[in-house]
Amino acid sequence: MRLPSPHRRPRRLLATLALPAVVALALTGCSGGAIGTADAATGTPAPSIEATSHLVEHARGETEVPDDPQRVVVLEPVQLDTTVALGVIPVGAAVLNEAAGVPAYLGAAATKIATVGTVPEPSIEKIAALKPDLILGTESRHSALYEQLATIAPTVFMATQTDPWPENVALVARALGDEAGADQLLADYTDRCDEIAATYDTAGMTAQFVRPREGILTLYGPTSFAGSTLECAGFTIPERDWEESISVDISPERVLEAEADIVLVSATDVTDVSQIPESIRGNATAFPGLNVVDQSFWITGVGPLGGMTVLDDIERILAAAE
Amino acid sequence: MVSTDAPATRVHPGAARATRFGVWLLVAVVVLVVAAAFSVLVGANPLSPGTVLQTLLGGGSAESRFVVWDQRLPRTAAALLVGAALGVAGALIQAFTRNPLADPGILGVNAGAAFFVTIGIVFFGVTSPFGYVWLACAGALLLTVVVYAIGSAGGDAAGPVRLTVTGVAIGAVFAGLTTGLTLTHPDAFDRMRGWSAGSLLERGFDVVLPVLPLLLVGLVLAFVAAPGLNSIALGADLARSHGVNVRRIQMTVLAAVTLLAGGATAVAGPLVFVGLVVPHLVRWTVGNDQRRIVLGSLLLGPVLVLFSDVLGRIAVLPSEMPVGIVTAFVGAPVLIALVRRRSATGL
Repeated sequence: MRLPSPHRRPRRLLATLALPAVVALALTGCSGGAIGTADAATGTPAPSIEATSHLVEHARGETEVPDDPQRVVVLEPVQLDTTVALGVIPVGAAVLNEAAGVPAYLGAAATKIATVGTVPEPSIEKIAALKPDLILGTESRHSALYEQLATIAPTVFMATQTDPWPENVALVARALGDEAGADQLLADYTDRCDEIAATYDTAGMTAQFVRPREGILTLYGPTSFAGSTLECAGFTIPERDWEESISVDISPERVLEAEADIVLVSATDVTDVSQIPESIRGNATAFPGLNVVDQSFWITGVGPLGGMTVLDDIERILAAAE
Repeated sequence: MVSTDAPATRVHPGAARATRFGVWLLVAVVVLVVAAAFSVLVGANPLSPGTVLQTLLGGGSAESRFVVWDQRLPRTAAALLVGAALGVAGALIQAFTRNPLADPGILGVNAGAAFFVTIGIVFFGVTSPFGYVWLACAGALLLTVVVYAIGSAGGDAAGPVRLTVTGVAIGAVFAGLTTGLTLTHPDAFDRMRGWSAGSLLERGFDVVLPVLPLLLVGLVLAFVAAPGLNSIALGADLARSHGVNVRRIQMTVLAAVTLLAGGATAVAGPLVFVGLVVPHLVRWTVGNDQRRIVLGSLLLGPVLVLFSDVLGRIAVLPSEMPVGIVTAFVGAPVLIALVRRRSATGL
């Protein structure tokens, strides 16, 4: 992928090799069996690798977490995206749709990630069964689960999923002990934004991202993930009262308030025209620059990888429009 | 079509009562027309009444034409049909079960519709009201048939009590299945939350027209069965001794309720309280003649749905509140007021 992290691979390999050895020891040994099984059970790397840790300050206080976690479980899309981007493929992730699983945009490496329930309702049993050494979650969603999770493994919570996403990326990076990696990811993201803005001269163009929901239209503002990525790429989101929220719902009677040079409508299937709301289809002349985009990354792809995927999509749309 | 003079055909001792009902009908029709006018004039887009009238006469801007012709008129038509169907279905089911708290959903109509819509969303990727309408219809009809089959198993005719208990039980099973599916599919959960609130958004003529025949047949059956319900109200045995074919009346009522409630739910999702409150309100003002109650509910059902929808359009600007949430808000106080005015609303 974009960010090779060579310093991790050998260690993981070592851990993989060490684990069966420990299990074998546990099986053959008699008195030493108990200790060996405990090691295998917690799934920590063999004791020969020095287990250092660092203190992370987060929404639920301070937690001592391993410097080089091997078995991470993530409960929030931005955490899944960031860990994968940093080359630490989690062993388990809570997903938005269990049937769909881990979003495809995360690439081949992510397909092996086990699902541990849904983002609003993760399964404690499934998380415990994966024997993680680090759990990442969200205070505003998983507050009630913290105590239980903390008994399974060191647990770090971000405050809320509505914070500006780069801040949440930074917290994940601190938990993984890879701030430099995250800085690099965010720098690559901004560079890509600037490149698109320069190539297609987006300054002065307006763009509006719309998510249709049962007839109501949700307009995403500058502080949302999709909105901030559009502004990063040089677009302006049309002025309106955002009511201090990432998005505002409007009635289909007010559909013309969604007008912009480029209008993006999210859908689960971009080829399915019926997913474009009637109010927009019925005003085709007002929406000449209409694009249907995949909500799996435009809405749930919060994080550096998702951001890059959204930017690729923006470039595809701009290139097609030229 | 159904505004035939029900009171006049009735051999009633007091002609004064018939006149009073005539006045009642007139007032109800006026209120209904006012409600429909509001529904065309008022909405989330602050068009002036003048602009709306101009647009109706063929003028207006592209925006006002879209708002009036593509949004408000189809919605008003849907509200009229759904309200009428739920009002009548509620009147029938309350008389049939002799239970003033019965709701058209009691036979499992809502649970069946919701279950089928969920299946459609989860397994077949259905995402539009146009797709939901068929699923909801099929689910509502199928589950009512199942409830009837189980309720009448064992040879006996399906009595009101057995049907009610079976309906509640089967409804609970399918509501549970629906919840199970939506909890494991947050995408479906999102969509079902919208559907089960009950909404008239995006219910264009393409959604309403396919259901129209079902509703019309249901209404005809309702008016055929209404006189018989007066006899049944005295008790099935007494009715039989008067030579009334109780079983045929029961079957007709069940068919009517299924078609009306199923069709309404297919269009708008489950609108709670309409089928419960409207017949109460009517019964309180026109007395216990089932023909009058059915006719009155036909007129007042749409009034409740139309006013609730208008309220929902301006309650949370610039967005809208689903009509089903508003009917609950409006309906509950009405029900409480009724209960307080009369210690019991007799059937």
